[in-house]
Amino acid sequence: MKKLCIALGALAMTATAASAQEKLVISTWGGNWKDGVAIVGKEFTKRTGVEVDYITGGTLDRLAKAKVAGANPESDLTNTTAHVGYLYYSDGLMEKLDYSKIPNAADLYPMAKRSDFTVSDYVYIYSPVFRTNAMPKDFKIDSWEVLWSAAVKGKLGLPDFDPSHIIIAATKLAGVKPDEWDKVKPKLLALKPSIKAFYQSDATSQNLMRTGETPVQVMLNINGYHLEKLGLPVKIEIPKEGAVVGVDVWGINAGSKKKDLAQKFIDLTLDPEMLAQLCNFHKCSPMNPKTKLAPEIASLPGIFTTQAQIEKEAIVLDDKTYATLLPQWKLWFTENIMH
Amino acid sequence: MNQRRPFFVTFLAPAIVTAVILAAAMFEVLQYSVREFIPGSLNVGGFTLDNFVRIQRPIYWWVLLDTFYISLLTAIFALVLSYPVAYALVRARRDWVRSLLVSLSITPLFTGEIVRTYSWMLMLGSDGFVNSMLQKISLIDMPLQIMYTRFGVVVALVQYSMPVMIILLATAISHVDRDCEKAAANLGANPSAVFWRITLPLTMPGILSGIVVVFAWTMSAFSTPQLIGGGKVLMIANLAYLQGFSVLNLPFAATLSLIALVSALGSLVLMKAVTGRLERRLAIS
Repeated sequence: MKKLCIALGALAMTATAASAQEKLVISTWGGNWKDGVAIVGKEFTKRTGVEVDYITGGTLDRLAKAKVAGANPESDLTNTTAHVGYLYYSDGLMEKLDYSKIPNAADLYPMAKRSDFTVSDYVYIYSPVFRTNAMPKDFKIDSWEVLWSAAVKGKLGLPDFDPSHIIIAATKLAGVKPDEWDKVKPKLLALKPSIKAFYQSDATSQNLMRTGETPVQVMLNINGYHLEKLGLPVKIEIPKEGAVVGVDVWGINAGSKKKDLAQKFIDLTLDPEMLAQLCNFHKCSPMNPKTKLAPEIASLPGIFTTQAQIEKEAIVLDDKTYATLLPQWKLWFTENIMH
Repeated sequence: MNQRRPFFVTFLAPAIVTAVILAAAMFEVLQYSVREFIPGSLNVGGFTLDNFVRIQRPIYWWVLLDTFYISLLTAIFALVLSYPVAYALVRARRDWVRSLLVSLSITPLFTGEIVRTYSWMLMLGSDGFVNSMLQKISLIDMPLQIMYTRFGVVVALVQYSMPVMIILLATAISHVDRDCEKAAANLGANPSAVFWRITLPLTMPGILSGIVVVFAWTMSAFSTPQLIGGGKVLMIANLAYLQGFSVLNLPFAATLSLIALVSALGSLVLMKAVTGRLERRLAIS
């Protein structure tokens, strides 16, 4: 009996050690987002023989866990939004990237290299979207200003977790910088009659549009495409001032013992072939200009395929400003707009 | 001499450990509430009372009042709707009626809050069941706005709380001595008088505990006001979540949580005093 126990213990230890050696652990969102990362993960395992394990959760839940874990991270790589990435590395929770070991990074659009710690593989936009069968026939949103119009009164849905898109759009309309947002407070207060509800997640955003509760929304373009695919008559607009870009990034968790493998993985995510698969799957904009998207994806509104298009249609905020201003925006928005 | 520990000490250990952990968590909330929030950082700053100054703004008082108001309405409506069900559950003569009522009343407890709230979203939406029915029978021309209103939130919360209220009331009703009711009837009281003057007063302890439990439960409601209220109806837990988990302003979220906790405890103490007085008066009469 004693021998059996020792043998089983040894076997368990060997198995644990082997799996610890051979697995790269990635922290990402659940659902579709994880499925997207898994496309790269599968290829990574094929090329390197290293298994990939996933830890999923919300953006800030994962950040909180990383903070608690400190120098003994649960994951080797983190996939998060760019301004949250700033919170990671400003708190010492991410390792500096060695771009010489990420050769594909040399081809990226300038906006993709967010910092010494984070790099973006793709971006998406938050832009006005509306249900064509719930609005007047000639209705269009060629400017963010339309959201303040009588036609949108009592019809607008906004995210409750992030008021940055509408605030950035208001500053753009007023011709001021985002950090001068104090100047557009009256303009934002004037938006109250338009707002019908706030959504809490991608699912509730789609639900509000599907049921017609908020036929106009500031919406993630990926959700808009999904609704279109389901047969809902929605139109994704790119206002003349541009659409607010959301940037997803990769960073290596501080304390990871697999930095080289993690960098290999990042390099693979930036590979044009992989990005084509990923962006055809998510319908997002790849950050490597060499990526060949399917024509039906490349022609979608909000999909960027050239630097010139990014400059014309994208409103991009730097991560530090975003991370620093968002709490102030959120507090003001809750106190003055939501209630 | 071999001194043996009382047997219950072993059984108390888990409760003591839980209490210590809870106390430590409460202390953390307390210490976070007096720390400074640094935008763009995961670390908190030094000690400050700024969060308590900020909370004096009218919006926070309104949200607190709204939370009380919604909790009270939920408790009252849950009581009114649950009493007949609990009464029928206890007094039904046929077994199958009792079984059916038990299943209908208790089954909702086994579905999650989110599932039930989503069902209410489908019911109360502009093109939901309620509006479609009312439009079909020509009672209304345009859909009624039920979602994103206090009314919608209260409707969903009442349904959510009813199983608990039914259980508490059914227990109280089952303890009513039927001989008292029979004696009243023999002395000439009609069924209505028997109910109002005998049964109802004797079930008052159950009614009062039901109100207290549902009120306290609703004070911390989160998912239902979040989804049905759609950000237009905020309760204190939603406000704490928005600050804590949307922007990691944990100090302010802790202050809001602390205020919610103190308010809930204060109102429970007040309710306990009122219900104690009421029970004593009923016992005397």
